[in-house]
Amino acid sequence: MSNLVEIENLHVAFRNDEGGYNDAVRGVSLTLGREKLGIVGESGSGKSLTGRSLLGVLPPYARVSVDRMSFDGIDLKAASPRLRRSLRGGRMGMILQDPKFSLNPVMTVGKQIVEAIRIGDRKVGHREARARAIAVLESVHIRDPESVFNLYPHELSGGMGQRVMIGMMVVREPDLLIADEPTSALDVTVRTQVLSILDELVARRGMGLIFISHDLNLVSKFCDRVIVMYAGRIVETIEASRLSEAQHPYTRGLLSCLPHINGSLEPLPVLNRQASWAEA
Amino acid sequence: MLEVHDLNVDFSGKIAVRNTGLTVRSGESFGLVGESGSGKSTILRTVMGLNGSWSGTIKVDGLDIRKTPRKQLARVVQMVFQDPYSSLHPRYVIGQQVAEPMRINGLPNPERRTAELLELVGLGGLKFQFRFPHELSGGQRQRVAIARALALSPKLLLLDEPTSALDVSIQAEILNLLNRLRKELGLTFVIVSHDLAVISYMCERLMVMRNAQPVETLTRDQLRAGEIANDYTRTLIAAA
Repeated sequence: MSNLVEIENLHVAFRNDEGGYNDAVRGVSLTLGREKLGIVGESGSGKSLTGRSLLGVLPPYARVSVDRMSFDGIDLKAASPRLRRSLRGGRMGMILQDPKFSLNPVMTVGKQIVEAIRIGDRKVGHREARARAIAVLESVHIRDPESVFNLYPHELSGGMGQRVMIGMMVVREPDLLIADEPTSALDVTVRTQVLSILDELVARRGMGLIFISHDLNLVSKFCDRVIVMYAGRIVETIEASRLSEAQHPYTRGLLSCLPHINGSLEPLPVLNRQASWAEA
Repeated sequence: MLEVHDLNVDFSGKIAVRNTGLTVRSGESFGLVGESGSGKSTILRTVMGLNGSWSGTIKVDGLDIRKTPRKQLARVVQMVFQDPYSSLHPRYVIGQQVAEPMRINGLPNPERRTAELLELVGLGGLKFQFRFPHELSGGQRQRVAIARALALSPKLLLLDEPTSALDVSIQAEILNLLNRLRKELGLTFVIVSHDLAVISYMCERLMVMRNAQPVETLTRDQLRAGEIANDYTRTLIAAA
C-alpha cells in the first residue's frame, strides 16, 4: 500500500429544519501518502468535517456516505465502531484549534498525557508512563517539563497548551495526524515553533499529516500539497510550491485578499463569489 | 486624542503593563503589535475602564478617565472585541444590541439610528434587525459589534484583534469597512493585532510590545523601509 489514506466520494449531510438534508461535504476524494497535505477553505467549506469523517468522530445525526475510505489498508467503511475506536488515539490522532477547549480543565496536563499512554497500553507502569510523558513534553520543546507536568491547562499560555496537546497526540506515535487549525490561536513566533515540531515528526517518523487551515500562505509554505475546498467540494488540488500559479478564481481570490506588510493601501480585493464555484 | 503616560497595570502581583506611554493624534490610526501576554490588549481594556488596578494617567480627548463619569466617556471611546461570538448578547436581536447604548444614554430616536447604523456597516434592511447573533456568520457579527460601538458616535475606536477570528476573505471585507468608516466619520483608531501585515495596512504608526513593555514605535514608512532599530521587531517581521 503506497497510500496511507484513500477517500473516494465522501458526502456528509445534516438534517435541516424542513426535514430534508443539507450537504456539507459533497463528493470529496483524496489520497494521502506519508506527506503533509493541506486542506484550505473558509469556515463552512467542509474541511473539518472531512478530517472528522476520516477519524469517525462525526455526531451520530450526521449522514455520511462514502464509496471507499481506507487507512493503511484497513477498510474504514466496513470497520466496526470497536475497530475504529482502537485506531483513534493510537494510530490516528487529532489536534484541535484551541487547547483551552480540548484539554481537560480539572486535570493536570501530566496526568492527561499519562492517561493517554496507559489507555493505549495498560502494561505501562505509572513510573514509566510519567517518564514518557516528560520525554514527550521535552520533545515538543517545553522548557522545564517536570514542573509543567504538574500544571493545569489554565496555567499554560496558548502556545504551551497547544504544544501539550501535540505532545499528547504524538506520544502514542500515530501514523496519521489530523491537525485542525492547530496554529490559528497562536502568535506568529510560537506558530513557527509548533510548525517546526510537526515538521520534525513527519520527517523523522514518516507520519502522514493532514493540516486543515484557512491560511493559504501558511499552508503553502508548510505543506507539500494543498487541497482547496469551497462549499463542500474540492475546487483545486495543487503542489504547495506552485500555489501562486493556482488557476481557480476562488484560490486566486483567497490569495489576493490578504494584506501585506509592503502591500498597497488601496481597499483590499474581496471575493466575488460565483454560484458556479459551488457546482460540479 | 489618546494620551497614556507611565501606565502600570498588574494583576495580583503579575505585571501586565510596565511604564508604558503612547500618544495617538486625532484622526490617526495607531497599531499595537506583540505576542499574547505582551500587554497590548490590557492597555485597551484599561483605557475602557475594564481594569481596576492601574497607575499612571490616561486622557481620552482631553478627559482624564479617572475623573470622567463612565457615561460621558462612553460617548468618546468605544471598543470592538476579538471574538464576535462572545461579545454579543446571545438573547438580544441585532436591533436591540445596537440600540441599547442609545437607550441607556437616553438618545432620541434609537430605532431610526439603529437602522442607519446597520446600513452603514452593510447590514441594511429589516432582514437583519430581528435576527439573533447565532443566525449570523462571524463576519456579520463583527459588523454588528462595530455598529454597536458606533452607536454613541464616539471619536476613538479601540479594536482588539478585530479580524483574527475571521476567515481571510471576510477579514478583507471588515478591514475595508473599517477604513471606509474612519474616513467617513473622521474616527481615530487604536488597533491591536498580532498580524504585522494587518497593522501595516491599517495604521500610520505602530508600537511593538514585548513582556509588558514597549519595544519601539515606528511609522508605517519606517516599517516598510526596514528602518528598524530593534531585533525583536525584526523577528516579528521575519515570522509574518
